[in-house]
Amino acid sequence: MEEPTVEPKIAVRGLDLYYGRFHALKNIDLDVRPNTITAIIGPSGCGKSTLLRTFNRMNDLITGVRVDGSVRLDGQDIWTGSLTPVQLRRRVGMVFQRPNPFPLSVFDNVAFGPRAHGQRNRRVLEELVEESLRGARLWDEVRDRLNQPATELSLGAQQRLCVARLLAVRPDVILLDEPCSALDPVSTLAIESLMRELQDRYTIVIVTHNMQQAARASDESVYMLLGEIIEHGPTSQVFTNPKDSRTEQYITGRLG
Amino acid sequence: MTVARREKAIERALLVSALSAVSMLALIAAFILIEGAPVMLRHGISSFLAGTRWAPTKGSFGILPMIVASVVVTLGAMVIAVPLGLSCAVFLAEIAPRRAANFLRPAIQLLAGIPSVVYGFVGILFLVPLIRENLGGPGLSVLAAVVILGVMVLPTLIGIAEDAIEAVPRTYKEGALALGCTHAQAIRRVILPAARGGIIAAVILAMGRAVGETMAVIMVIGNAAIIPCSVLDPARTLTSNIALEMGYAAGDHQKALFATGVVLFAFIMVLNSIATMRIVRGRR
Amino acid sequence: MSKGLGHSTRAVSASWLAAAIVVAMALAGCGGRGGRRALVLAGSTSVQPVAELIAEHYEVEHPHHSVNVQGGGSTAGVRAALEGAADIGMSSRALKPDEVGLEPIVVARDAVVLIVHPSNRTTDLTPEQVRAIYTGRITHWSDVTGPKWSSDDRRDDIITLVTREEGSGTRSAFEEGVMAKADITPRALVQDSTGTVRAIVASDPNAIGYISLGMVSSEVRALTYGGVQATEETVEEGTYALARPFLLLTRGAPSGEAGQFIRFALSDEGQQLVVRAGYLPVRRLDP
Repeated sequence: MEEPTVEPKIAVRGLDLYYGRFHALKNIDLDVRPNTITAIIGPSGCGKSTLLRTFNRMNDLITGVRVDGSVRLDGQDIWTGSLTPVQLRRRVGMVFQRPNPFPLSVFDNVAFGPRAHGQRNRRVLEELVEESLRGARLWDEVRDRLNQPATELSLGAQQRLCVARLLAVRPDVILLDEPCSALDPVSTLAIESLMRELQDRYTIVIVTHNMQQAARASDESVYMLLGEIIEHGPTSQVFTNPKDSRTEQYITGRLG
Repeated sequence: MTVARREKAIERALLVSALSAVSMLALIAAFILIEGAPVMLRHGISSFLAGTRWAPTKGSFGILPMIVASVVVTLGAMVIAVPLGLSCAVFLAEIAPRRAANFLRPAIQLLAGIPSVVYGFVGILFLVPLIRENLGGPGLSVLAAVVILGVMVLPTLIGIAEDAIEAVPRTYKEGALALGCTHAQAIRRVILPAARGGIIAAVILAMGRAVGETMAVIMVIGNAAIIPCSVLDPARTLTSNIALEMGYAAGDHQKALFATGVVLFAFIMVLNSIATMRIVRGRR
Repeated sequence: MSKGLGHSTRAVSASWLAAAIVVAMALAGCGGRGGRRALVLAGSTSVQPVAELIAEHYEVEHPHHSVNVQGGGSTAGVRAALEGAADIGMSSRALKPDEVGLEPIVVARDAVVLIVHPSNRTTDLTPEQVRAIYTGRITHWSDVTGPKWSSDDRRDDIITLVTREEGSGTRSAFEEGVMAKADITPRALVQDSTGTVRAIVASDPNAIGYISLGMVSSEVRALTYGGVQATEETVEEGTYALARPFLLLTRGAPSGEAGQFIRFALSDEGQQLVVRAGYLPVRRLDP
C-alpha cells in the first residue's frame, strides 16, 4: 500500500473456500505486511474467522472444507510448499476466542509447546517460560504461582497465558480470533497494549467485533462482508474516510 | 389444578419406582449379610478371609485362594483390556472417520451382547487347548480366564473411555494443534490427561465387571481352590466358588457361600464407589 | 424380576406385579400345565436325565398327567421331598442317618467309572493308586505305570486331575467309595457337570476323571478298578466297588400319583428306559 516495496508476510491470492456447498470465502486477495497489526472486521458470518483460520490451516480439522487459490507465508505456498501443517502452525500461532489453557499448571502450559517440539532441558525450559511470561506481561502476576493450575487464573490472565504459551514456540505470526470477547474492559486493554508491545517482533492479525478495538489497536483494517473483502487500508483511513459506502454504513452503524 | 395433581402423581410414582430399586438393593444386601455373616463370625473372620483350605463339607471355610484369584484374574484382565480398550477408544473418538466409527462402535458394543456362556465355550474350544499345547499345564488356567475376561470387558471400557475422550473440550485440542503439535501429541499430552478421570472410571467399572463375571470364568479357569503360583495354574474366583457349589450346598456350606457373596459384594461396592467418585470429580 | 424392574418407568406397579407372579409361581412349584397341577420331581442331577426320560414316556401313557423334573442335587432332593416342595425327591446317594421320614426306592444303579484319554496306556488302577492320585501324592503318570506311559514322550506327563464340585452326588459317591476320609487335593480341576469332566478328559492326554457309567463314551476310555470292569453284572454282584443307588424318595409310602409314577419307573418299560439312559436296572428284564 503505502510501502509497496516491503515483501508481504502473508500473501493471499484468489482464495475461495467452501464448506460443502456453502461458498464461505470469495476470491480473496490480501497482503498482510510484516510487523503490523491488521484487524479484520465485519458482521457475524462474513467469513473473517474462516479467513484467519486459513492462515494456520485450522480449517483442515473440519470435514468437507475445500479451498482454491493460494496463501503464501514469506513467499512459500502453505498448501503446495514444503511446509507441513505442523511446521506452519509453529510459525503461525493462534489465540482463541475463549481462553483455553490446558488443565495443567501455569508452567506446564507455557512449556507445553517447547516440550512437544523436543525441548527436555529443564534450565532452558525455565528460561523460556520466564521470557514468554514476561513477553505476555504476566510474569509478575504468576511468578509465585507457576505450579498452580492455569484454570485458577482470572480469565484475562488466562488469555495472556495463552499468548505466553504461543510466544514460547517463537512464531512469526500471531493470529488472534476475537481474543477479548470473553474479557472485561480492563483485561481487554491489557491485551491491546500487549499487542502493541509484540508488534516489533511479530506480525499480528486480529479478528474483532469491537470497532473501538480495531480503531485503537490496529494499523490496517480489512472490512469483510458475505465472504468478500470490501475494503482494506490503513485503519485511520478506513474508519474516518471509507472508500466504500458499505464500509461506511457498517462503521457508522456500529459507532453511531 | 388437574394438571398440577397429575404432575404430583407422576412425581410420586417416579419416587416409588426409584425407592423400589434402592430397596431391592437393600434387601439383597441385608439378605446375603444375614445369611452369610453368622458362619463368618462363628469360624472367625480372619480364618475365613485368610484361611487357605476350602473344604466346606468338612468344616474348612478359608476363602483366601478365591480372593487372591479374583484379584489376580481381574488385574490380569486389565493388563489385556486397558491398552487394547484405550487405543480403541482413542481411535474411535479421535482418528477414525465418522463413518468408520459409526460402523465400529456398534460392532464393539455387540461384544457386550454375546452371552458369557458363549465366551466360555469359545475359551474351552480354542483357548484352553492352545494354552495346554503351547505353554503347558492343564490349559484351564488363570491365563485362560484373564484372556476371556480381557475381551469381555472391552465394550464397557471402550464405551466409557470414548465418552470421556469426547467430553474433552474441543478447544484443548485446537490449542495444542495451534501450537504446532501433531495430532498424536495433542492426544497424548492434552486429550488423554484431560480425560483421565473418566478413563479411570472406565477402567474401574471394567474391573467391577471382571470381578463379577461368573459363567465364562467357571468354564475356563479350572476351579481348583488353590492360590495360583503361575498363570498356567488353575484357580477359583469368588464368583465361580458360589456358582459352582450353590446347587448342592446345604447347611454351613451354603452359608459359607453366602459369606463368599458378602466379600464379593464388598469388592464390587468399593470398586463402584471409586468409579462414581472419579466420574463426579471428572465432571467438576 | 429384573425384567419387571427394567420397564418400571412406565408402570411402577409392574415390577411388583412381576415379583408377585414369580413368587406365586415358585410357591405353586411352577406347575400348572393346562391348569392341572404337575407331579414334581426334584433332586440329584445324576438321576435327573433318567427321571426325565421316564417322565416323558409316563406322560405319553397317562395323557392327563404332567411331570416336572427339576435338578438341584441330592441334598436338595432330600430336602424338597421332606418339605413337600417336591412330590418325589431324587437322590444318587443313600440316605444319611439323620435324613428320616422318607421312603427310599431304588429305581436304578449307577457306577462311578474312572476315565482317561484314549491314548493313555493305563488300563487298571487299584484303590490305593486312585487314592494316591486324588490326594495328590502321585502327580506323574510315569509314577503309576512306569516310564513311557504312552506313545508321546515323557516331556510332560503331569496328571491333570479332574473332580466334581463339593456337594455333587457323583463326588460323594467317589469320595465314599475311594477316598476313605482323605481329601481330594485342592489342586484338582473342579467341574460342575459330568459333561465338562468328560470333555476335559477327552481333550487332555494327561487327564483323569470320574463319571457315571452311563455317561462313558468313546471319546474317553474307562479304567478297571481293582481289576474289575464296571458292568451290569459286576455292579449287581457287588464286585465292582464304586457303585451307588439312584433313589426316588417320598414322604411316607408312595401313594396317589407319586406311587403311580414310581410303579411305572419299576415296570419293564421304566427299567428299559433306565438301560437306555445308560444306567443299570434294578430288576432283571425279560428278554
